[in-house]
Amino acid sequence: MKRILASLFLLFFLIVLSPLIMWGEEVGGNIELCKTCHQDRFNSYSKSVHANKGVNNSPANTYGCESCHGQGMDHIQKGGGKGAGGIFSFSDRKVSAAAKSAKCLNCHADSRGLSYWDISRHKSADVSCNSCHTAHSGKKMDLKASQPDLCISCHRNHKMQISKQSHHPILEGKVKCTDCHDQHGTFGTKMVKASSVNELCYKCHAEKRGPFLWEHPPVAENCSTCHTVHGSNHDKLLISRVPQLCQSCHDAAGHPSSIYSKFNTFQGSSPSNKMFARSCLNCHSAIHGSMDPSSRGEFFVR
Amino acid sequence: MKAKAAIMATIWILISLGISYAEDGTFSGEVSVTGVIVDGKNDNAKFNEYRDIRTGVYGSADVQYQMLKDHVEFEAKDIGYNTQSYTLDAGRWDTFRMKLNYDEIPHNFTYDARTFYAGAGTNNLTFNGYPPGTNPNKWNTFDYSTKRKNAEGSLQLDMFKPFFLDLSANEQQKRGTYPIGVAGTSPGGISIEIPSFRDYKTDNIRVETGYRTKPYFFTLGYLYSQFDNGDGLQDFRNPATANTAVTTDTTYLPPDNDFQKFDFQGGVSLPYQSRFNVNLSSSRARSNSKLLPTSFADDVTAATSNIGVQGRTGISPSSPYFNGKLNTDNYNFVLNSNPIAFFDVKLFYKYLDKINKSDNINTVEGTEVLSNSLFDYIKNSYGLETGFKLPASFRLTAAYSYTQTDRQREDLPRNRDNLVDVNLKWSGLDFAVLKVGYENLHRSAVFNSPPGPVVDLEPWIRRFDAAPLYRDTFKASAEFFPVENLDIDIGYKFKRTSYTDTILGLTDSMTDDVNFNVNWQAHKQLLVYGYIDFEQIVNHQYQRQIGFGASPTPPYSPPTAAAFNWTAALNETTYAYGVGANISVIPQTLSLELAQNSVKSTGTVDLTYLLGSVPFPAGRNQDNIDLNPWDNYRLNDYVVKVVYQMTKIVALTAAYAYEEFSYDDSQYDGYLYYVPGSAGGYLTGAYNNSSYKTNIVLLGANIKF
Repeated sequence: MKRILASLFLLFFLIVLSPLIMWGEEVGGNIELCKTCHQDRFNSYSKSVHANKGVNNSPANTYGCESCHGQGMDHIQKGGGKGAGGIFSFSDRKVSAAAKSAKCLNCHADSRGLSYWDISRHKSADVSCNSCHTAHSGKKMDLKASQPDLCISCHRNHKMQISKQSHHPILEGKVKCTDCHDQHGTFGTKMVKASSVNELCYKCHAEKRGPFLWEHPPVAENCSTCHTVHGSNHDKLLISRVPQLCQSCHDAAGHPSSIYSKFNTFQGSSPSNKMFARSCLNCHSAIHGSMDPSSRGEFFVR
Repeated sequence: MKAKAAIMATIWILISLGISYAEDGTFSGEVSVTGVIVDGKNDNAKFNEYRDIRTGVYGSADVQYQMLKDHVEFEAKDIGYNTQSYTLDAGRWDTFRMKLNYDEIPHNFTYDARTFYAGAGTNNLTFNGYPPGTNPNKWNTFDYSTKRKNAEGSLQLDMFKPFFLDLSANEQQKRGTYPIGVAGTSPGGISIEIPSFRDYKTDNIRVETGYRTKPYFFTLGYLYSQFDNGDGLQDFRNPATANTAVTTDTTYLPPDNDFQKFDFQGGVSLPYQSRFNVNLSSSRARSNSKLLPTSFADDVTAATSNIGVQGRTGISPSSPYFNGKLNTDNYNFVLNSNPIAFFDVKLFYKYLDKINKSDNINTVEGTEVLSNSLFDYIKNSYGLETGFKLPASFRLTAAYSYTQTDRQREDLPRNRDNLVDVNLKWSGLDFAVLKVGYENLHRSAVFNSPPGPVVDLEPWIRRFDAAPLYRDTFKASAEFFPVENLDIDIGYKFKRTSYTDTILGLTDSMTDDVNFNVNWQAHKQLLVYGYIDFEQIVNHQYQRQIGFGASPTPPYSPPTAAAFNWTAALNETTYAYGVGANISVIPQTLSLELAQNSVKSTGTVDLTYLLGSVPFPAGRNQDNIDLNPWDNYRLNDYVVKVVYQMTKIVALTAAYAYEEFSYDDSQYDGYLYYVPGSAGGYLTGAYNNSSYKTNIVLLGANIKF
């Protein structure tokens, strides 16, 4: 009986501890070997969170460089070089984005924020994790650059948009692209972090949330009816200038239908408060909604 | 406030150090001190619209303490300035993470604005005597400026993985002086620009918990947000009336409101590399407002005919209070699958229902009864996206979606959107990736002509936000990387929208967008880059002028002096370019950065009277009515920066920057603070005079440890 118990104990010991013993042997992989040729890569890796042994399942606790780049022996035997011996290179343009991301998702699939990666526009557009992140860095989130430069490196036309005279303080570093967009995917269009455009805008502009006694329907339905998000040549990020913007909907008899020309500016012969300075907004200031129960509220002048 | 911020910073540093000493680790970070000299007309609000650059000493710090399991980081920027921010980020890997953040964002609109009112930026604006003086040189000066302060904290708990719990809370305050406009009389009459106050406070709290593993996850979340705007009223003395009361008018500011949202999110992996994701949420926004504030009682005896002058008398709403309530339900379902290597597909359905349950208020105003309409809408959307890997390194993606919107609105209650999107990518060359794409949107709409006799131009107006349209978008881009370290990108986008049923209003819109970008690491010690962007937007509007109270005549009627058609062709052209170089003069020791950026926009509105044989109004012809300049501006900046790495830990920086902004616009040229006549008004200079030229010199030291 004692022999049986001893055998069972030994078996249990082997089953439980053998992986730990094996793991102990392989912790960190053959980093020293890789370092002999890739000292600069080793240095940058050492600064990154991936080199931190305090993080469970980090490469430092598993197979080191081989955790992401695959087995290195063939690579060494074939004399090194990009892709030699089947080594996995994240900078190889011929390797698909999906394959690159799969390497990262091996560990990060259940990470916070990656729940919707599968449905993200970035994934379907062949953006891989390493398009934005590097595994070798001491920078925040191991990003290759800070916002907005990182995002602009692909979304080129946004460079000019955020530089226009009317813009959110993105270039000033006070608003980040990721304040509104979830780069890893959401259900919303344009990967916005809300159920609707208005819900997103109200996060910072809660005063526009109402509900108002008098609602301005296009405003209540979609802020982007009148405003553009990234930048505009017109004040308040408007898609077009007032009065033309207002007149494109309001062509009622009376002043909304009038043609306002240079003659109605300060320097014209018939200056009109429907034209100069802030034009329609000189009076219709409550354009996002009004609580005045009178006709002045109905027409958003109070 | 500065003291408060300093105290917060100190506390956070102490917390950081306290945690740091708990365990041995690596202490690192950097501290920088920068002296700034600003020369030139930097007293312009536009220069510091979202910044606070002035002569002074700026300090920032980023301190990190890394232990095996724990990490702490404290970051401070622009200490003591209007753009200051402080962040403490600490945690234990795989266990928890906490973050505290305080941030300020200024928004400067106009400095040295002027008003005849006393109390600019308060809720009670008065003036002595009647009428107010019209010499702006004798008026009070003030700044249009607001500041947003955001304090937030968050805690993420992961110690019971795969269960998790996230908590976050923040408070945003926005205070300052902001321009609003009111009509002195109604209808028409003078306009009055009012230096109103802003004193907003928004508190948010969010809780999210769930279970997250590889095959599936689910989360439950709750958000509560409360917006506080005091009593939401701006009292002012209306200069359009000779009434001698201290305040004779009131305008309503945004009401207090609150918002709460429950949401459930989940996803599960399915066979054939498929995944099903769901997002269900239900929210409710509420507002409460007193429709007839106590202050109204002062003038309740005024004659009904006085409506429009004092406006707050002679009205009788069906309830003294308004309770706003807006419920929103949002359901999303997405199934994506990658069953075979060369094919992937995504199917989605989205349902968004906004239900307006606010009070219906009927207001008796003279002989008229006004009733608010309760606007709400439902959106149903579904579609699919497919992706095909084709031979010869082609990838084709094709998508289709259908969206139906039903809204409580008289003119355009229903839209049906059919959207088709096709993109082709070719990566068959070692040195290039080419992409082309096409998108087509066809929107149809149900239009309801106003019931009864035609009293306005409504039968011919189609408001562009819901008008029927065809939109074509063509996209093409190419990325070239002929040699290592050289990237060249070229992109082009053309978008054309035709509002097919629109007779009056915006009839078509066209956008051209071209961008070119190059980055070249020419040498280990030299990086050069540059970009050129171009954009042109052209809109056409067809309008009809009809005098107030006149019987409307259809747009196809022969023109008369009182009723005629006119058109507006809006054209705005913007181009931006930039060049720069980063030169490592002495590697690891001396570096030089050079950069120049420029943005220029020119706009015009080409107006055309369609008068036929009817004479032009006095003095006008087709050539002297156009609006030009129209938001014309140019922004140039030049930067030269030298960084000398004196030792391994000390770096010295010297930089010079020049920034120039010139603005020219027909609506602001020849600005007047007071314009006489019934179509005139009292202005304050809001947004006027935004041009500036500024030289900036920086000398700084950065210590890394």
